[in-house]
Amino acid sequence: MFYEYEIDYDTQNSYEKGLNEAFWQFLVVPEENDTQELTYWHFENDLGERNSVSINGLGFRTVQVRSKKEIDHIKFNAHFKLIKKEVNPFDFELPLDSKEDYDQLRSLDFRIDHEPFLRNTRLTHLPEKYATIFPFDENVSLFENLQALNQWVFNKIFFKPGVTDVHTHMEEIIEKRHGVCQDFTHLFCAIAKKNGVPTRYVSGYLHQGNGFFGDSQMHAWVEAFVPNAGWIGFDPTNNLLANHNHIKVCHGKDYTDCAPLKGVVYTLGKNETKYSVLVKAAQQQQQ
Amino acid sequence: MLARVANNLFWMGRYVERAEHVARFMNVNYFSSLDAPNQLSQSRQFVLRSMLFMVGDPVYDDSLKLKEEEVLFNIGLNREKNYSIINSIKVARENANSSRDLISTELYESLNKFYHYVMNYSTDTFVKTNLYDFTVNITEMTAVLRGKIRGTLLHDEVYAIIMMGVNIERAIQITRIINTKYNDALMAKGSYGDPIGNSFEWSTLLKCAESYDMMRRLYKKSPNSTSTLEFLLLNGRCPRSFMNCINQVYKHILEIDKKVEYAKSSTAFMVGKIKAEFEFKQIEEIQEDIQGNLDLILNKMFKISENMEKEFFNY
Amino acid sequence: MGSATEKTIFSSYVRKEGLFDEVFKGNGNVKSVYQKLLDLYGSRSIEDYVNLNTKAKSSFFNQGITFQVYGDKQSQEKIFPFDLFPRIIDPKEWEIIEKGAIQRSLALNHFLWDVYHDKKIVKDGIVPIELLSSSPNYLHQMMNVDPPSKVYNHISGTDIIKHSDGNYYVLEDNIRCPSGVSYVICNRTALKRALFGVFNHYKTHTVTNYAENLLHLLESVKPPGVDSPVCVVITPGMFNSAYYEHSYLAKAMGVELVEGRDLFVENDFVYMKTTQGPVRVDVVYRRVDDLFIDPMEFNPDSALGVPGLFAAYQKGNVTIANAPGTGVADDKAIYTYVPDIIKYYLDEEPILKNVHTYHCSRPDELKYVLENVKELVVKPVDEAGGYGISIGNKLTKDEIEKVKAEVKANPRKYVAQPIMSLSVHPTYIDEKESFEQRHVDLRTFTVLGHDQQFVLKGGLTRVALKEGNLIVNSSQGGGSKDTWVLKQ
Repeated sequence: MFYEYEIDYDTQNSYEKGLNEAFWQFLVVPEENDTQELTYWHFENDLGERNSVSINGLGFRTVQVRSKKEIDHIKFNAHFKLIKKEVNPFDFELPLDSKEDYDQLRSLDFRIDHEPFLRNTRLTHLPEKYATIFPFDENVSLFENLQALNQWVFNKIFFKPGVTDVHTHMEEIIEKRHGVCQDFTHLFCAIAKKNGVPTRYVSGYLHQGNGFFGDSQMHAWVEAFVPNAGWIGFDPTNNLLANHNHIKVCHGKDYTDCAPLKGVVYTLGKNETKYSVLVKAAQQQQQ
Repeated sequence: MLARVANNLFWMGRYVERAEHVARFMNVNYFSSLDAPNQLSQSRQFVLRSMLFMVGDPVYDDSLKLKEEEVLFNIGLNREKNYSIINSIKVARENANSSRDLISTELYESLNKFYHYVMNYSTDTFVKTNLYDFTVNITEMTAVLRGKIRGTLLHDEVYAIIMMGVNIERAIQITRIINTKYNDALMAKGSYGDPIGNSFEWSTLLKCAESYDMMRRLYKKSPNSTSTLEFLLLNGRCPRSFMNCINQVYKHILEIDKKVEYAKSSTAFMVGKIKAEFEFKQIEEIQEDIQGNLDLILNKMFKISENMEKEFFNY
Repeated sequence: MGSATEKTIFSSYVRKEGLFDEVFKGNGNVKSVYQKLLDLYGSRSIEDYVNLNTKAKSSFFNQGITFQVYGDKQSQEKIFPFDLFPRIIDPKEWEIIEKGAIQRSLALNHFLWDVYHDKKIVKDGIVPIELLSSSPNYLHQMMNVDPPSKVYNHISGTDIIKHSDGNYYVLEDNIRCPSGVSYVICNRTALKRALFGVFNHYKTHTVTNYAENLLHLLESVKPPGVDSPVCVVITPGMFNSAYYEHSYLAKAMGVELVEGRDLFVENDFVYMKTTQGPVRVDVVYRRVDDLFIDPMEFNPDSALGVPGLFAAYQKGNVTIANAPGTGVADDKAIYTYVPDIIKYYLDEEPILKNVHTYHCSRPDELKYVLENVKELVVKPVDEAGGYGISIGNKLTKDEIEKVKAEVKANPRKYVAQPIMSLSVHPTYIDEKESFEQRHVDLRTFTVLGHDQQFVLKGGLTRVALKEGNLIVNSSQGGGSKDTWVLKQ
């Protein structure tokens, strides 16, 4: 089964005092992988500056815009068409003996190969006092543990936009039990890493047709590495496995690696950012 | 050359030149007034006001009694005043610091020594006894710097940028000095009945511009308003004249902008146009409206500087 | 010698028991390489010497070879204190130092390639993975990036001491942005001027060829497809304490000294903004910390960097020297593995010794450290510039307890080494108006290029000016000396 999507990413940044020189980098282009094929893309900015496509340090496509004129805002729009393949997230074999998974997690080579995604970052560091907040049960398979964690995070945190930001401490998220998809994702990553599972933060678009939480903005979910199965997507915000509605842009250790917009602007005043995302499903096609 | 560094070198040239003119103006004005032929020109208040007028901080309120030591301190060594000599030297050196890799060690060393000399000059000594010593040293050290600029730098783009700064600033300072002394002459006129054309202030003006001796050699007469203005504005052979400055600016801009044809908006075109205009200017035309013409010249120089900024320093 | 007349510069020189003096033997006789120097120098009066010293210092000051000291109100300019009495290294000893420094730099370069590719040394159990994953300088973005000519640490500064056993030991490797080379050259210039009559009696290697060699090797690692590369030096700006050095190097190499705002990136190429428009840049010698070079990838608040620089680098359109991410290899915890690293990659025995190091992260070694703090130097793993170091035999009882508690609470943060007895060198001390023994070390500068290496024949001899002090860093009140490497 194939799904065709059209995605519109729109942003406007305004600068109170204006600026003479600026550089923006957008990390909004869907990744091309086994389940996603990008068939069309188009970028536009209203400054008449060139949109240069580049690759960032983690290997994902970015769009860079540089301006040296006197301006007080930039509007940027990206439009994509994409074909997504439906995959069965359960399409792998669970090990007969669940111990095998855990032995592999502990092996030196495994820890070395997955080092970046086992590393603690500021945003995915589980404070010591919560070290055993969700211990894995090694009598059942790793995948089942991760599913249980997905459910647990979903139940633990209440989706509430506007109360947290990138500076919010994990402690506050756990204690106050609220947050948005970034917070769900960071919490999942932190606990999974604590249990020795490599996890990465995924940024992307969510097709909202089915009433999921996603807030018409960029969405975030988790990919966790399960030995013998590979990277599997978990969406703790919606208590789902990532499926054909999840359109991946990039992954990283945490949000900082995946921020959709990074900019360097030389100005003193305040600035304001507005953005919106629209994902439309086109006709389903049989192939 | 980096655009930012070019900007810094340009301003290094300007500030060095500025320091020199302010210092000489203080020196000549102060000391020649001591035995000036008339009462007003001798008056302390008159001289101090003239200095403040020249550096761009004029005092119009006649009832205000200026304190001599305070005025001298402000113009010479007050770091808080952006027109002070100490501040010019400080900024010149900061500009040199950011382009140390481009200028010669000799030039940097001289400027650096100069900086430390000024920074360590005792305020008390300066305002009480050493006005002469301080200002003469400033003018001599700037002369050394000019020598180092000419003698230890490759005569290429770097040199041309610095010399643009020096000559634009010189044109501006000469014009400011003329403006100030013209103003003084106007005021002095009423007090002792001399016609403005033969005022004592014209000799002072020439000395302020280090041009008195040259002028005497050429005209062999006491300076009056016509001959002085003609000499300082239009005589291309006088190194301090506006005409010479603009000729120099023109020569150096060609070194920086090597195009064969110049766009109308380019600095080279602008400078060429001003040069041509003044080559065929008569002193009588200027005398029709001295104040207006001085303002015009100043504005043109400001425009050249702004245009350079846009064209070369701002990528 | 021994028959020094009164009031000469060495007449009041006291040699302390147990210190290894580089100039005088145990019996008070002068070592042979210093004999000529002492014959010529030794007969001068202290007054002569002070005169020369004052003149040399004012020459430094006038040339603006200074660093800023930030006080309460106004910042002050100070010269880096230096001493006119040179240190001499004979050709045989130098050969060991030079070979050892190259060996270390090459091995660390192999190590960097490995940790950013297959991580074999970790998989083979030589270096623990935790050392990498806990290092903020181990950059995820550098994984599988191939720097031109496979060179990471183009410029290394190796800090070497001479121990009382007469052997040289490495104290520290600096492979981020090692500084100090401009002082080597300035010291030499000052010394030649002041003491030409002595200098011309020795056949000493020049140090003024550093910049041309550096430029040559930087050009050799240009990006593929570039014929005559444009190199630049990037500096954080004139308020950086090493700004003089940055401007010196740019000038001596004849290249532009740029700040981040002078460069921009378009379509993954790097350009500098000149009066004649944009000019492409091929090699960037960075004197800005790697975490600050590109706000798009690393520290987002950095105003010192160039947005997009890393993407251009990764694509092979510009060379950055030293490569981003070299810091992972000069961590003090990695230092202790350098002998193993040399054996692993080069299959050679280390030429320069390491000071034995105890890892507080290992329980049995922690136990030893806690029991013997008094005999050890305890250092934090991740502090530069001599900060946070405690030297056991200089501590009071209370201080020892404090150090122990600190280490116990945070064992991973500390390593400990036996207190090394750094050699001493006669140094003129202003307050005492005489020469006294002071501890010295040596920072050598090694440059790696495309299949070629260069070690500056000389180096920065740093002196701890406080009596008995072992820490020579300039931020801790250290000075320097000219270092003469003699020709064969």
